[in-house]
Amino acid sequence: MGGLNYQDMIRALEAYWAERECVLMQPYHTELGAGTMNPATFLRCLGPRPWRAAYVEPVIRPGDGRYGENPFRFQHYYQYQVVLKPSPADVLDLYFASLRHLGIELERHDVRLVEDDWENPTIGAWGLGWEVWMDGMEVTQWTYFQQLGGLDVDLVTAEMTYGLERLALFLQGKRSAFELEWAPGVTWGEIYREAERQWSAYNFEEAPVDVLMRRFDEHEAECKQLLERALPLPAYDQVLKASHVFNLLDARGAISVTARAGYIARVRDLAREVARLYLASQAEEHADAAA
Amino acid sequence: MPTLLLEIGCEELPAAACYEAEAQFRELVRTHLGVDPSKVYIGPRRLAVVVDELPERTEDQWAKGPPEARRDEAAAGFARKHGLGEDELEVRDGFLWARVAGEELRGEVLVDRMRAIVHGLTFTKSMRWDDSGHRFARPIRWACEKLDEETLWGDGRSFGRRFFADAVEISTARAYPETLRAAGVEPDAAERERLIRQGLDGLGEWSDPAGVLREVIHLVEWPIVLEASFDERYLALPERVVQAPMQADQRYFPLGGNRFAVVANGGDPDLVRAGHQNVLESRLEDATFTFERDVKKAIDGLAAELGSITFFTGAGSFADKTERLVELVERLGGGEASLEAARLAKADQAAELVREFPDLEGYIGAEYARLAGYPEAVCTAIEEHYLPDAAGAPLPASEGGRLLSAADKIDNLNVAFRLGRRPTGSRDPFGLRRDAIGVCRLAVEGGLTIPREVLEDEARAFVEERLEGLMDVPVEFVRAARASNVPDLGSVAELARVLATLEDARLDRLHTVYTRASNIVRKAGEDELPEVRPELFVEEAERQVAEAQDRAFAGLSEAGSFDEAVTAAEELADPLAHFFDEVLVMADDAAVRRNRLRLLHDVRDLLRSSLGDLAQIPR
Repeated sequence: MGGLNYQDMIRALEAYWAERECVLMQPYHTELGAGTMNPATFLRCLGPRPWRAAYVEPVIRPGDGRYGENPFRFQHYYQYQVVLKPSPADVLDLYFASLRHLGIELERHDVRLVEDDWENPTIGAWGLGWEVWMDGMEVTQWTYFQQLGGLDVDLVTAEMTYGLERLALFLQGKRSAFELEWAPGVTWGEIYREAERQWSAYNFEEAPVDVLMRRFDEHEAECKQLLERALPLPAYDQVLKASHVFNLLDARGAISVTARAGYIARVRDLAREVARLYLASQAEEHADAAA
Repeated sequence: MPTLLLEIGCEELPAAACYEAEAQFRELVRTHLGVDPSKVYIGPRRLAVVVDELPERTEDQWAKGPPEARRDEAAAGFARKHGLGEDELEVRDGFLWARVAGEELRGEVLVDRMRAIVHGLTFTKSMRWDDSGHRFARPIRWACEKLDEETLWGDGRSFGRRFFADAVEISTARAYPETLRAAGVEPDAAERERLIRQGLDGLGEWSDPAGVLREVIHLVEWPIVLEASFDERYLALPERVVQAPMQADQRYFPLGGNRFAVVANGGDPDLVRAGHQNVLESRLEDATFTFERDVKKAIDGLAAELGSITFFTGAGSFADKTERLVELVERLGGGEASLEAARLAKADQAAELVREFPDLEGYIGAEYARLAGYPEAVCTAIEEHYLPDAAGAPLPASEGGRLLSAADKIDNLNVAFRLGRRPTGSRDPFGLRRDAIGVCRLAVEGGLTIPREVLEDEARAFVEERLEGLMDVPVEFVRAARASNVPDLGSVAELARVLATLEDARLDRLHTVYTRASNIVRKAGEDELPEVRPELFVEEAERQVAEAQDRAFAGLSEAGSFDEAVTAAEELADPLAHFFDEVLVMADDAAVRRNRLRLLHDVRDLLRSSLGDLAQIPR
């Protein structure tokens, strides 16, 4: 199967979802562990306002790197994130049509939706959904949000997170992400393999634990200060930075199993406060607009 | 009479939700329609029920009213409440009864009843998907209710298998299953299971060690069983490391060697097979990377990393745990191989493969120990030390495995109780009940000598309480035996069994003298009784008890079994009975009285320490 190359796959998804009234967003400007943490999802999916967005998100998971040696594990990869709020009744049909748009003849494959109940304790979020399997390959994580930041959602968002590397492996019939064609004549491996090696060395060996410990506290303090000033958007960036620092510390093996739960709880508490404040500010904005 | 169909169309339901719906469906139909369903269809995208010969009305019911004696004041109101005249009431067994007409089961009423059935289904995990306020396991997308040809709810259409057929017209309720089959859906879960089993049987020997079939039945609407294989080079991985991604991740069925079966939901078989093979090989390739990284460190290298992995908050790291294990295995009498196994037992907690497949703990450690050339006895002990891991699960087959298993569980219990993490009600997050039962079984069934003193007080009481539930003798006998001084758990069980099977007459005799002795001592309430002094004996009966006590003590010390111990203790029965007839314990002379009390006190202690607190046994 000579499917779409990586960049054409992204372009096809962009074109498809733009036509379905999605705002095409860009990746966020700080490290995220998942596309869900981008404020275009985490904050916009709170509250009563409809919202549709689609975007590529680079995902940074320091502990998952393998020095560019393992063609299935990376500390940096991509998700394509689509959120439809509220979820329309034909949302699964829309999703499947996006796969057809990529050239997949669905009737020729074994397509299954396998239960996968999603939870992200660091941002107090959970939902029910599936892994979407194409001939056994998990190409998308699919979730109906039920809570974000510890709050019940007003409108249920359907979130579709395409794993772009896996989707590309499926489309291109390749066995290794390094061999994926990114653009004609250029492979994924040529672009990212050396980066995987260097970043793995940083994440596992070089990242300065003492400095990071201090940074975590600083991000937490700054977040609290910004919350007091009623600035939920900048406050949220501090949550993201704290979360990334935590992931780095975890990769460095600097966090014991016991301490782990404590760090997660600290990030979750911040995320919850940001979510509350964001909702309150939305309500005010709404009232101002009405007046 | 007509046939009724109700189909609830959903987005893909989890298998667990399918089983929950199946368990409730029949009862809900009975409650709301008053009849048994003829057929229930359960699957990932639809829950359906068919009732053949739906009666026109629900059956009439009898409502019980006031006693006939109160007819004058109460009959009118009772009749009115049920829409009847007073003369329509009937009298039975001294009460007034009203015949309440059944409700019509047609038209709108039927739709309401059906809605009630849908809303009556509840799930452990449910969700919202729009602003209707409905909760269900996954979104409901259509309903199809038909009474023969008449459409009651929905537009008379259902949906076929995704990407195979779209909407299909259900012409009449009775045509439901055949219409769906033509649209690529087998709606009957039992039939899907039969097809899957038949397909697997056709491929030869198959296995399902993790039990994924139950889920697979509800992962497909039209099962297609495909034979597939992976590159033989992955057979170099330990067998369960190959099986784990196959089963836990991909829900495949191992066929032996490098072959496996996929149960697909449709598609072009060659394309689908190639895709699945590709995915499994990628997972095995990934497992190989992880495996090789672990093996490079080797089991000793992994063991050296345990200091940085917390075992239990407040109970140190896995390195600390390892030290305690070694010490416990030593106290349990373990030899060199068992001690070596204890030293390596937790090393795989540092292995990446265990982080990936936590169920493989123990197994992975054993495999890594084998690769490092450790003796098989050491490896087997490591592999088996989590057994028994469920009620009724087998004990470790090897001596070393049993020792290490006991040591591991004893440490878990001691640590948890010391930190106040006692299980409460149904909450037992650390699996302490399972551990305690495991320890008991290792002693009773496994023949392991487990000194009671290796368990700290609270943990010991908790473990011995489990013994009460585990043994096939009345609990009082176990409680009696627990009060004895026998040194190990297995002996407590053995003593309880001997007591419980003792002839009634023999038990009665011992029980009587023991309880009399202990009651007198208790009631006298004198403490710090001085040692018995023979020169203070006044009666011959006292001397006889003292002599019998010496004989019993010698006999008990030499007894090789509890049967012999009982015989030795019986030396005391007659002299004591005689003593109670002849001697007034509460003599006026304080020295004599206290001497007699002390004698009884010693006899009681001797009996209790060797045979237990017989007073616990109801007589």
